[in-house]
Amino acid sequence: MKNKAIELSLGIVTSVGGFLEIGSITTAAQAGAGYGYQLAWSIVLGTLCIAFLVEMSGRFAACSGETIPDAMRERFGANFFAITLVIFLGVSLIVLAAEMGGIAAALNMAVGLPIPVWALPVALLAWSLLWRGTFGFIENGVSLLGLVTIAFAVGAAKLHPSYHELMAGMLPSLPSHERSHYWFVAVSVLGASITPSLYYFYSSGAIEDKWDVSYVPVNRFIAAIGMGFGGFLSVAVLVLGAIVFYPRHIDVQRYQQLPELLNGIFGHAGFWLVVASLGIACLGATLEITLALAYTIAQGFGWTWGEDREPRTNARFSLTYTLLVAAATIFVLAGIDPLQLTQIGMALTAASLPVGVFPFLILMNDPEYLGEHTNGPFGNTVVMLISALAAVLAIVSIPLQIIGG
Amino acid sequence: MHLIADVLDEELRDSRGEHAGRIDGIVLELRPGRPPRVAYLEVSPITLLARFSHRLAAWYARYDAKLGAGRGVPFRIPWSRVTRQGPILEMDIDVRATPINALDDWLSRTIVRRIPGG
Repeated sequence: MKNKAIELSLGIVTSVGGFLEIGSITTAAQAGAGYGYQLAWSIVLGTLCIAFLVEMSGRFAACSGETIPDAMRERFGANFFAITLVIFLGVSLIVLAAEMGGIAAALNMAVGLPIPVWALPVALLAWSLLWRGTFGFIENGVSLLGLVTIAFAVGAAKLHPSYHELMAGMLPSLPSHERSHYWFVAVSVLGASITPSLYYFYSSGAIEDKWDVSYVPVNRFIAAIGMGFGGFLSVAVLVLGAIVFYPRHIDVQRYQQLPELLNGIFGHAGFWLVVASLGIACLGATLEITLALAYTIAQGFGWTWGEDREPRTNARFSLTYTLLVAAATIFVLAGIDPLQLTQIGMALTAASLPVGVFPFLILMNDPEYLGEHTNGPFGNTVVMLISALAAVLAIVSIPLQIIGG
Repeated sequence: MHLIADVLDEELRDSRGEHAGRIDGIVLELRPGRPPRVAYLEVSPITLLARFSHRLAAWYARYDAKLGAGRGVPFRIPWSRVTRQGPILEMDIDVRATPINALDDWLSRTIVRRIPGG
């Protein structure tokens, strides 16, 4: 019982610390800067959806002893698994490159050397942590450091936002200007919140931590409170963007603008808080996405896998994450703007959501895997509607945004 | 038991309960005047690739053959040596006595062990 209480607390803390990453920070800041509080609803919907998905993926692993990729291949066959893998791999590689670019951008702001110069040191740091670290170290250590992102909530509270307007923004509304851009930002926020790598990682983590059916209630609390508080931090970033940038009509187009979110509140310390938040949050996300991808490939092909194992005992798994880090490094080395990569990655994530989410929902309703713990109609409906909405908005708004420049 | 739903793509464990890959293919024996019966299960990237493209599988098989004895062709497990334990299939063979993990062993020997911390 005591162990479960410790795991519950740690799980919530790591979920909070691991929630914010480059996508959620920049898209929330862009939403606030462009439309004030009006896009708060997109964070609420995204958080609701990811909380359900994380809860489901943990429950699935705890009840069946299997991960999502395991069951995807078993239930839908190798061909379908290969299609979902290719889409997941393509989209997540762009997001991974964006996260590594985010670490490089944080170092660029701290030290001043150009972003591509930091590509190899960042890759080496991330790879070393994966190669030498254990699952517990990655899950808890980096996510605990990620709690520095709470500075955004403190900053937002200090600026005394209009809670009435914020609450009004929680309800979806039509834009008054730049319609295609409004929907594109909404899609990016949804894509940043509902990242498949997060619940794939969570599901594999539950297996690494040897969860069984007794963890179902613990899992529910971790997903609800952890994701809920993570969403709260995203709203805090949106509030900062709405107060700091929106009245001055400043769009967030470069990373170097982000420290302004906290500069006026904490002075020069605000600059370092944003740099630390960005660097640590992106490092945590880099490790999580790389592992989620390597887990998915290894589990789907039936290889031996496990971050707690020595690399030589699961060579294919450890070389897979090595190659993934190397592939993402090429984007950063090439000098592609991390902010552009983030926007593209988040929008593509939203567009591809149904491909992974709908088959997952079929699994979540299969008593062969979950026994009496299958999904209820409410969870099914919420996840299906939000994923479909995100995908439709993405498919409509991405071309409009490209046409509109 | 349904062959496609309950056997193909399922996880396989060895006699020690260790992970031994996934069932990539099923070999049926055709008998004149009698129903076909399952002869072997195949665990091999060659079989898996052949499900997408025979040309790709043939190309890969040439390189796979260099991994040692028993590689270059799909590894077959007699159906009689496999039992079902809940959702998992188990063979009464130690995976270390098979070429299933030859690629893992080769990568470990030639690359991973040479990297510090590997």
